[in-house]
Amino acid sequence: MKAKRTIITFGDMRVGKDSNRSKRTPTVRKDKTAIIPVDRFPALPGDRPRVETGSAAVADLGAPAAARPSMAEREALDRVDLSVELAPTRGLRLANPIMVASGTFGYGVEYGEVVDVQRIGAICCKGTTLRPRAGNAPPRVTETPGGMLNSIGLQNPGVDAVIEKYGPVWQGWKVPVIVNIAGESIEDYVEVARRLDGVPGVAGIELNISCPNVGKGGLQFAIDRDAARAVTAAVRRATDLPLLVKLSPNVADVRPIAKAIEEAGADAITAINTLSGLAVSPDRTRALLGNTFGGLSGPAIKPVALRIVYEVAQVVSIPIVAIGGITNLGDVLDFFACGAVAVQVGTAIFADPELPVRLGEELAAECVRRGLTSYGPLVGTALPKRAGASSAKGAEYRP
Amino acid sequence: MTMRLVSAELVESRQILPGQWIQSFNAPELAAGSRAGQFVHVRTGDYSGLVLRRPFSINTADPATGIITLHFRTVGRGTEWLTRAREGDRLDMLGPLGRPFEVDPRSRHLLLIAGGLGMAGIRMLADEAVRDGRQVVVLFGAQSAAHVYPSSLLPDEVEYVVATDDGSLGHHGFVTELVTQYEAWADQAFACGPHAMLKRLAALAAGRRERLGVAKLGRKRGGGKQDPLGSTSARRKAFLQVSMEQTMGCAVGACLGCTVIGVDGPQRVCREGPVFAAEEIAWESIA
Repeated sequence: MKAKRTIITFGDMRVGKDSNRSKRTPTVRKDKTAIIPVDRFPALPGDRPRVETGSAAVADLGAPAAARPSMAEREALDRVDLSVELAPTRGLRLANPIMVASGTFGYGVEYGEVVDVQRIGAICCKGTTLRPRAGNAPPRVTETPGGMLNSIGLQNPGVDAVIEKYGPVWQGWKVPVIVNIAGESIEDYVEVARRLDGVPGVAGIELNISCPNVGKGGLQFAIDRDAARAVTAAVRRATDLPLLVKLSPNVADVRPIAKAIEEAGADAITAINTLSGLAVSPDRTRALLGNTFGGLSGPAIKPVALRIVYEVAQVVSIPIVAIGGITNLGDVLDFFACGAVAVQVGTAIFADPELPVRLGEELAAECVRRGLTSYGPLVGTALPKRAGASSAKGAEYRP
Repeated sequence: MTMRLVSAELVESRQILPGQWIQSFNAPELAAGSRAGQFVHVRTGDYSGLVLRRPFSINTADPATGIITLHFRTVGRGTEWLTRAREGDRLDMLGPLGRPFEVDPRSRHLLLIAGGLGMAGIRMLADEAVRDGRQVVVLFGAQSAAHVYPSSLLPDEVEYVVATDDGSLGHHGFVTELVTQYEAWADQAFACGPHAMLKRLAALAAGRRERLGVAKLGRKRGGGKQDPLGSTSARRKAFLQVSMEQTMGCAVGACLGCTVIGVDGPQRVCREGPVFAAEEIAWESIA
């Protein structure tokens, strides 16, 4: 059966009659030709033996089919198109909007047979720098209420080693791999981007200008509008790869920065990176982490991420990829409602490695339940109805 | 065996010492595919806001019955949650993970050294060594007699020597002080416990050759071709192997959270470890 494809686009924002609706609501149009068919569901739940992972609590939306779906259900699921285009002009099409976040999924190979990576929307690999980095002193992670602190410090073998070791692997995958890059100077970012340009298997770049765990470099680009603009524009000139830029929540007002990044030519915005935090050692004589400070992630930061996505969605028109504390389908739908068109799952993978794949299945089932063929109508529903009116809102939440 | 997600059914839970528990799980895949030194990453109830799994050494594994046991101390909310699990409850385990102890096939005499809960790290090696017909001495150190691992839980074939900090049982002092009596006898040593203990053992192992006057003869043990540091063959030749501990995120090598500093840079406890040859670790970095 050939399913009709529905595409969500974000480019056309000079909508006339529809503009009384939210600015972020994507236009949904039918298109039969634009996409390379992607085998979205090579195997449905039930096709491969699944263990009871004790994660039943995750399915609190009552959505997903636990048993093998019937023929009719299968056809209904087939009609749902979860694909999303993150870089309309350059082409970064995801089979589904559930991505895995940088730093939590290594280079995509570590989880081995436990996770079927091909069924993830996209993989953001570990932050990669020009030269190898040894990272911060241990201990590097600790659990906090509803979250965790990490201070890995961008340990990685350097961009050349990453390309040599993982490029051929990624090339054989149909799941797009987005390389997360970091640097100490604009020149570093540009050089890394240049080396990734044209490498088979690299589908895009995510600019990490918001790592809170390295003393020099990184964060200073995310807290200053002009610096964010400069680094984005420089990388934009260096490569034709789809370019995502990851925002930091550790700023007073994220909106001018997001706007500057959009103007500088980013294809999409990722929001948010970790919040800077601290834990104390058990004997209370020093900080617990070797690096003193760490980045907070997990369910604890979800409200902050929602607030920032909500704010950014009202000032930019490029796609927003939301990240921050996603553990179930409800969280995904929350971020969609605030204007995100894709999400990244991070910390939750550590407890539940199958979560990203399962969220894709659950999202499809949720669309069927609501009688939708795409999740476009779920995007931006919580945003203020009159565009622009709310920009004053949110000021009261600002620290 | 490659790692997998396993649903393990709790079949027995008992407190063996104050605050220390041994739980038995029915998990045939893990029992059949695990080796001494490997660990499992256990998911705790997510209702309480615990976002990370908890790593535990596999204490024993019996392929015949499909039972594995975990030995842990209640140190926080995750382990307290575990103690409240009841028979029949199913726990989500990821495993087996990490690299195991590597015993040289020529080694006849194995010295196992454990500090406190470190017993959980080397316990399974005692089973494997006895099964393979090797002689085993277990040196065990604890605070006091009340914290000493019960000898009834060890195989009958092993010799069990205890040291306590307060002298209430066995040798009065640290377990490391017992090592010199056995280092001439032992072909290889394997240790798990506090990092300070492992550091002291590494220093002892480094000076062993000179103390014993062992000459480097021919190609035996490290003569001839050098195996790359960290390789299985190099570890097999190492006199001392240690099982290291570090707070852990993913346990599969993706997050780089659980590193210890090695002589060749950061080493992931979950992937390159948890067992390391003593000479792989940069001991000066360990307090």
